[in-house]
Amino acid sequence: MAQNKAYDFMVDGVKVIVQPSGNNIVEIQTVIKGGVQNYPAEKMGIEAMAMRALTECGTLKHDKNSFKNELDKVSASVYAYTSKDYAVISMSCVKPDFDIVWPLYTEAIDQPKFDTTEFSRIKQDAINDLHANESSPDASIDKMANKVAFAGRKYAEEPQGTPEIINGLTAAETKAYYNSILTKSRMFVVVVGDIDQAQIEAKVKALIAPIKKGAPYTMPESFFRVYNNSFNEESKELATNYVEGVTSGPQLNSPDYYAFQIAMRIFADRHFLDIRTNNGLSYAPQAWFSSGSTSVAKFSVSTTMPNKYIAVFDKLVDSTKHNGFTPAELADMKVTYLTGFYYKNETNAAQASSIAANEVLHNDWRKALTLIDNVKKVTLTDINNAFSKYIGNIVWVYQGDTKKVDPTLYKNGTLHQGDNPVNN
Amino acid sequence: MISKIIKSITLCTALLLMATVSFAQLRLPAGYYYKQLPNGLQVVVIENSKVPLATIEIAVKNGSFTEDSVYNGLSHLFEHMFFKANKDYPTQAQFLKRTQELGAIWNGTTGNERVNYFFTFDRDSLFQGLKFLNAAIRFPIYRVEDMKKERVVVDGEFQRMESNPFAQLYISVNKKVWGDLFTRKNPIGIHEIINTATPEKMMVIKNKYYFPNNSLLTICGDVKHEEAFAMAEKIFGSWESSGSDPIAKYPIPKFKPIAKTDLFVQESSISRVPYILYEWQGPSYETDSASTIAADVFSTIVGLNASKLQQALVDKGLASSVSVDYSTSRYTGPISIGVVPNPNKVKECYYELNKQINMWSQADYYTDEQLKDAKAILLRNDEYAKEKPSSLPSQLSFNWASTSLNYYTDNTDDYQKVTREDIKRYLDTYVVGKPFVGGIIINPELNKTVNAASFFAAQ
Repeated sequence: MAQNKAYDFMVDGVKVIVQPSGNNIVEIQTVIKGGVQNYPAEKMGIEAMAMRALTECGTLKHDKNSFKNELDKVSASVYAYTSKDYAVISMSCVKPDFDIVWPLYTEAIDQPKFDTTEFSRIKQDAINDLHANESSPDASIDKMANKVAFAGRKYAEEPQGTPEIINGLTAAETKAYYNSILTKSRMFVVVVGDIDQAQIEAKVKALIAPIKKGAPYTMPESFFRVYNNSFNEESKELATNYVEGVTSGPQLNSPDYYAFQIAMRIFADRHFLDIRTNNGLSYAPQAWFSSGSTSVAKFSVSTTMPNKYIAVFDKLVDSTKHNGFTPAELADMKVTYLTGFYYKNETNAAQASSIAANEVLHNDWRKALTLIDNVKKVTLTDINNAFSKYIGNIVWVYQGDTKKVDPTLYKNGTLHQGDNPVNN
Repeated sequence: MISKIIKSITLCTALLLMATVSFAQLRLPAGYYYKQLPNGLQVVVIENSKVPLATIEIAVKNGSFTEDSVYNGLSHLFEHMFFKANKDYPTQAQFLKRTQELGAIWNGTTGNERVNYFFTFDRDSLFQGLKFLNAAIRFPIYRVEDMKKERVVVDGEFQRMESNPFAQLYISVNKKVWGDLFTRKNPIGIHEIINTATPEKMMVIKNKYYFPNNSLLTICGDVKHEEAFAMAEKIFGSWESSGSDPIAKYPIPKFKPIAKTDLFVQESSISRVPYILYEWQGPSYETDSASTIAADVFSTIVGLNASKLQQALVDKGLASSVSVDYSTSRYTGPISIGVVPNPNKVKECYYELNKQINMWSQADYYTDEQLKDAKAILLRNDEYAKEKPSSLPSQLSFNWASTSLNYYTDNTDDYQKVTREDIKRYLDTYVVGKPFVGGIIINPELNKTVNAASFFAAQ
C-alpha cells in the first residue's frame, strides 16, 4: 500500500488519530460523542440543527455568505451532521488549500455565530429535508422500523427531529446546547492526509484551546431482544410495497461480534439468492447487521408479493439455523472482507469515517485496521452459533398496499411447526 | 470522428485505419495505456497501486439510445441477465458462488448511451476475473424460466423508482422533452415491454451490439499494463468482430426539438415536499462539443453560493436548494434545473426562478471572479474524481461512449479555456428564450393552498 502507518497522540486531553494518505487530499473529522444520549426526546433534532448552523449561520469572523464563498473558491467542504451515537464536523480539501480551509474549519467549531436570520432560514430547510426524506420510501420504512422497534428506548429518537420540534427551536437555545456538548471530554480528531505531526499538533492545540474540559463521557450500551413477532403497517400509495424487519444483534464487546457480522453478510447473500434469483420476489432484498450502542440485525425488501416473501424468508432462516453455513461460504466471505477492506481504503473520507466509528463504538480506532485479523479468527461454529443465538422474533413494519399483506403470516410465522407459532 | 470514417470503408481497412488513427491522435492521462485488439476491442489499462486491488469493466455502446418502443427497457433487462447464467456458470447460484470465491464487489449499470459491468477483487485474481467476465459477456444463457423471474426483478426496480415522487416528475418531464423518441432517453423502460421480454429479444440485442468492436475493456488497479494487455488478448482475442460499427448500422434517429414551452402541475399523495424540474434539449457532443464544456462551467458558476441564482433563491429563503445541470451526451443531452421550493413561498420561488433564467445571457449575470472560481473548482474536482481507483473505469467508459477518450483526457484543461463568449453562445443557443418543459410535483393537500395551476403555466 502507498500509505504509511497510522498513529495517534494526545493534545491537551484530546486524542488525535492520523492516517497518512499518500495522496493530495486532506480529510479531517472532529467527532463529538453522544448522539441521542445528549438531548431529551422533546428536543430531538437540536443537535442536527446545531451542526447545520455551524456552517450555515456564519462565524464571528465571517458572515454565512463570506464563509461559504471562501470555501467555494477552493472547492473545499466543511459540513457537520449527527447520528444516533455521535456527531461529525468534517473538512475536506486538496493539500495546497489546507492553510486556507483550516482557519474556516476552526472558526466553525470554535466561533459559530448562530445568526438568528440565518437560523430561521435553515429551520425551513431542515423541515423541507425531513419531508423530502419522508418521500423516499427506503428512508421512510427504515425510520418507521426504528420508531416501532426501539419504542421506549433512546434509540427511538430521530437525530433529525420532527418538523414540530425544529419549528420551535431558537438560535439561542441551539447555541447553548452546542456549547454544552462541545467539550474536550467528548471529542477526538481524525486526520487522513499527508500533514506532518508537528503541524497537526500545533493546529489541534489551537483548535481546542477555547474548549472546556467537560465531564467524562461513556457511551451507554443497550441490548436489543424481541420477545414476540409483531407487524405494523401504514397504507401508502406506492408502486410497490416496502417491508423491513428488526431483530437482535450482539453488543459491541460481545465475543460474537465479528462472527455475527460475517454470518449476516453470508445470510445477505443467501437472502439475495433466494428472494431475488430463485423466486423473483424483489429487486433489492437486503439483510445487514447495524452496529451501534444498540446493535440489531435488519432485513428489508420491496415487493409486490409480501405474503410470499415472508414464507420464503421463514424457510430460509429455518434452514440456515438447522443446516448452518458451509465452510466454503465462510472461506469466500473472508476473501470478500479483504476486498471490502481495501475498497474502503480507496478514499480518505471512507477511511476517516471507519476510524471515527471504531473509536466511538469500540473505543479503539485500530479495530478499523485490524478488521481482517479479527475476521480471520472466526470459525464456522462461531458463525452458526451467532446466527442461531440472535436471529429470533422480529419486529416487522410495512408501507404500501395494506390489502396485499396478511399480518398473521408475519406475526405467527409460516412454518406451522407444532406448538411454537414463532419459528423465526 | 472515428466512427464517421469507419462508415465509408470495408471491415479490414476500417480496423487497421481505426488503430492507426487512434494511436496517432489518442491522448490519455499519465498511467493510462491503450491497445486495440485485432477484433476491434479497445483495452485501457490504468496502473494505480493505491490499494492491492484490480477493477475490471466491460462497457458496451448500448442502452436506451438504441431502443424504440418495442425494445424499451431491454438493454437494462439484458444487463441483469448478464449476471444470471453462462456457459461456464450455467445457473445464477453458480455465477454468484464464483463472485464470492473471487471476493468480488460487482455491479452493472444501464444508462442512455452505455451499459457497463464491473468487478473489483484482489489484484492476484486478475486473470481469473477476466475469464469470468469473458464467459458472461460472450456466452450468456437465456432460459425462459430465468427470464420470467428476472422480469419481475427488473419491474420491481422500476416500481421502486415510481415510488419516489422526484422520479415520477422526472419521467413526466422527460416524456414531454423527448416526445416520440422518449424511449431513447428512458433506460428503465416500459412495464409491458419488460414483462413480455423473451430470450429471442435478448439474442437480438446481443447480435446487434455485443461485439468487441462496440466495447471497451478497462483494467485498473495494482497491475502492470504489459501483463494486463497480454491477459486481455489471450482471453478476449477470439471474440469475433461484427464486421461493422453497430451504431452506424442501426442509426440513431434525431430528436425533434421542443415545439413550445410546456408547464404542468402533477399532484402526488406521496410527495411530502414540492419539487420543480425544468428541462431543455441541450448540446450534443457529436455536433457541438464546445457547448458541452461551456455548459459544465456555467452550471458550476450558478452553483456558487455567491451566484445570483443561489443568492436570489436559497439565500433569500425561497428555496432549500437549486441546481443546474447539463448531462453530457453524444445524442442531445438535457439541461435541467431542479428546485426544492419553500412550501410557503412556491409562487414567489417560481417567479424568481423565471426572472433569473431570463437574465442568464446578460453579461453581468456573473462576474469574472465567479468564472475564475468555477474553473478552479472544476480543476480540483478532477482531483477528487480521480481519488478512487475502482471508479476510474466507469468514468473513462462514460466518456468513451458519450464523448471520446480524448475528451476525457482534455476535459479539465478544456474547462480552463472556456470564455464568456463560449458560455453566451451556449446559453443563447439552448436555454434563454428557448422552449422548455417544466413540471412541479406537489401534495394535493398543500396544493389546495398553493394552487400551483394558477401560476405555473406557460405565458
